[in-house]
Amino acid sequence: MLKSHEFSYDLDLTMQPANGILRFNETGTIESCIGDKAFLTLTADEVAEVLVIPGVGCGLICARLNDGSEVLLCRFTMSCMKEAGEFCKVVNYYIKTREYAAPEKKEKPVCEKCGRHFVGELTVCVFCYNKIGVIKRALGLMRPFAGKIIPAELFITLSSVLYLLVPLFSRKIIDDYLRPMKGTFQQILLLAAAMFLARAIGELIFILSSRVFNKGSILFANHLRNLAYEKIQKLSLNSLSKRTPGDLIRRVMEDTTVVKEFISDGGRWAMEQMILFVVVFVILIVTNFQLTLLVFLPVPVVCLALSRFWRFIHIRYERQWRKNSKCQAILHDIIKGIRTVKSFGKEEMEIKKFSDATRELAQVSSDNEVMWAKLFPLMTFLTGIGEFLVLYFGGYKILNGALSFGVLVQFSMYITYIYAPLRWFVSFPRWLADAMTSMVKIFEILDEDIEIKSVTEPKNVPIAGKVTFEGVSFGYKSYEPVLKDINIEIKPGEMIGIVGRSGAGKSTMINLLMRLYDPNQGRICINGVDIREMDPEHLHESIGVVFQDTFLFAGSIYDNIAYAKPDATVEEVIAAAKAANAHDFIMKTADGYNTLIGENGYSISGGERQRIAIARAIIKNPSILILDEATSSLDVETESIIQDSLNRIVKGRTTIAIAHRLSTLRNADRLFVIDDGRIAESGTHLELMKKKGIYYRLVMAQRQTSKLKEIS
Amino acid sequence: METARTAAASTLSYAIDIGFLDPKKVEFYKTPGGFTGLRYAGNDYKRVTLRRALPIKHPMEYISVADQENKEIGMIRSLYELSEKQFSIAMAELDSRYYSPVVCEVKSVKDKLGYVYMELVIERDGARHVKNCAVKDVNKNIRMLDEDRLAIFDVDGNRYVIQSLNKLDKKSLKRLEPYLF
Repeated sequence: MLKSHEFSYDLDLTMQPANGILRFNETGTIESCIGDKAFLTLTADEVAEVLVIPGVGCGLICARLNDGSEVLLCRFTMSCMKEAGEFCKVVNYYIKTREYAAPEKKEKPVCEKCGRHFVGELTVCVFCYNKIGVIKRALGLMRPFAGKIIPAELFITLSSVLYLLVPLFSRKIIDDYLRPMKGTFQQILLLAAAMFLARAIGELIFILSSRVFNKGSILFANHLRNLAYEKIQKLSLNSLSKRTPGDLIRRVMEDTTVVKEFISDGGRWAMEQMILFVVVFVILIVTNFQLTLLVFLPVPVVCLALSRFWRFIHIRYERQWRKNSKCQAILHDIIKGIRTVKSFGKEEMEIKKFSDATRELAQVSSDNEVMWAKLFPLMTFLTGIGEFLVLYFGGYKILNGALSFGVLVQFSMYITYIYAPLRWFVSFPRWLADAMTSMVKIFEILDEDIEIKSVTEPKNVPIAGKVTFEGVSFGYKSYEPVLKDINIEIKPGEMIGIVGRSGAGKSTMINLLMRLYDPNQGRICINGVDIREMDPEHLHESIGVVFQDTFLFAGSIYDNIAYAKPDATVEEVIAAAKAANAHDFIMKTADGYNTLIGENGYSISGGERQRIAIARAIIKNPSILILDEATSSLDVETESIIQDSLNRIVKGRTTIAIAHRLSTLRNADRLFVIDDGRIAESGTHLELMKKKGIYYRLVMAQRQTSKLKEIS
Repeated sequence: METARTAAASTLSYAIDIGFLDPKKVEFYKTPGGFTGLRYAGNDYKRVTLRRALPIKHPMEYISVADQENKEIGMIRSLYELSEKQFSIAMAELDSRYYSPVVCEVKSVKDKLGYVYMELVIERDGARHVKNCAVKDVNKNIRMLDEDRLAIFDVDGNRYVIQSLNKLDKKSLKRLEPYLF
């Protein structure tokens, strides 16, 4: 049996839905079939490359043949895009090495019960996931705090049960002492005192246990938040970039609160309300069976009406919420871009846009309020039907001497204890659904595979030797390779410049070297050891990096420089600042190194910010220094100041620099020119200029631009 | 005002060459490999891609033609300027690049774990197929393209279009209603 790798596609060549298979076997045959019929067969000998060409809502796989012509192998919808990329990787690897290396079968996860594909990044089927299992898991996370929460819950329930004694005492006072006019003042006082005590003890227990309970549930929420946050810190950039920052913030802050409220508050309510319901039910049945039936007669109608009511209201309020979000988004956008709005004189247009959105919100809100005002009294009336029935039939029985007045009072008082839990039970499914969504989202983060894994026995060699890229290929999306077969060697202490057009893959190379991502193929070694076999922390400690868009944290200049080495001495911080030519400007500020800088360091200039970033990068004395467009956003004068400091710093260090301004790389020992994800040229500045290739053209184009600027 | 704007636009068109192709000289053809090629101004492009500049408002106008390396060869101002044969090849190429099945019925809509799970009936060349799709962030991914046209973008990146909400059956519309705003 021949080994083969299959890709199932879902459109035929005329874009009609179909079930097709693209098969590649170990002998190098590529076969495309629809149904059982193969309509196209090629051998790997004829093919130079297979590639995915994305369309809009669809894509295709194309085989580029050795003679330069191209053949369409299949078409598919976006649902098959990832698998198409995987297929191309297998075939291209075979074409390059003549080795068949099919990946472990990593098909799209499918639900074992219903056969549906899992949605998005979810690891459970949205239809069949085990709700009880999810709740159990959330309860499991609550275990460390159960010692506080459960006893407190029990006491809170006990306090509610104590309130149930009050109607019993009321009945006794009416039937035994007031109605027959036989009771003494002392007897009444005794019962009133008992009622008072029941309530007072109940309240006291409630206050004390609520304090313990709230403390426990807040600790639980905190624990859940920390778990999610810790996991986010450990996830790779690849995993994190699939989600927006807002999404991640929502999971850490909002979803954890929803789960906490459901597990702690919801659990408490569920226990309290259920116990109250059962106790009241038993008391009512024992007291008067017929009246109890009357109490429960309207229950099915009330439940049905409540359930419809909540569903109806929920949809309407959800719409109001969305309109509100739209308004907020517009406002956020306009305020953020107010400079642009004003400089283009578009204030009126923006006012209209916002007022249109607020008008829509006002309309929906007003409709909802009217609806609420109409429906809510109706629902209150419905839930009160039991009370009318009991009063009517109870009163009838009292007049006939078949019921005591105290029993009727007792029933009226207990009715509220029956209908309150009902209202709660009806809204429970919606509450449960919201909590489930939040729980699954938190567990999705907690369960996510850490792609950049630490090996159990890391080989933490000193990060000082040569750096090699061996056959490295990588794409942020598997079907769109950014780097293709990169093979380079960087000697220790060498200054390397990487140049190329925007989007050529320069920054991707250093992202891989920093192990923010792992290559799809090939390996990156330092001193002959694959960086995947090292501890990521060890690697990061030895690499210093300065990006174009420097992010400085809110805090002092000192804290920002010492960020890379929190145990740095004051002398080390000052030395790093001096080396980065930052010391002088820092000393000009009133608070020196204690000067506070806001988010993104807005209160200081771009050049100053960049110098702080350089100081931060070098404070840990890194063996490898990476400069990713470190000076490209600065003016020529500031750049030359920073360049001076960099020239001092890079001596003796392996330095890899990316720069658009090619003049800044003139002193590099070697330059690599990247074009379309491949190393197109390499050599010194002079060698590459003589070669008159891509580098030469880039330099000439820049000189032309500079001349034009000088003339103007 | 309008005159000033037209004058500014014509000045800009004069200064910047949009690179419109001469519709009379455009010669699209089908390659043996199943792609669309183009012969134009003495050049033979073995595989070209047609891309809409304004796919929603002007799907038949301002069509960019790019070569194998995705470099623009030029633009077609309007597909209607092409000959009948050229028009049909260009349309076939566009239809295979832009895949947005037309939804004729919404069988079910369920809110599950923050995703809206839909069962849609799509129509392609007279045949009906049932498609399941999941939509995240309904605010962004279920949106009106114009007064009556609705687009649904699922988590995989597929897109579905409802050509006219007014012509959709009542049950389907009721199922979608909570997500239209």
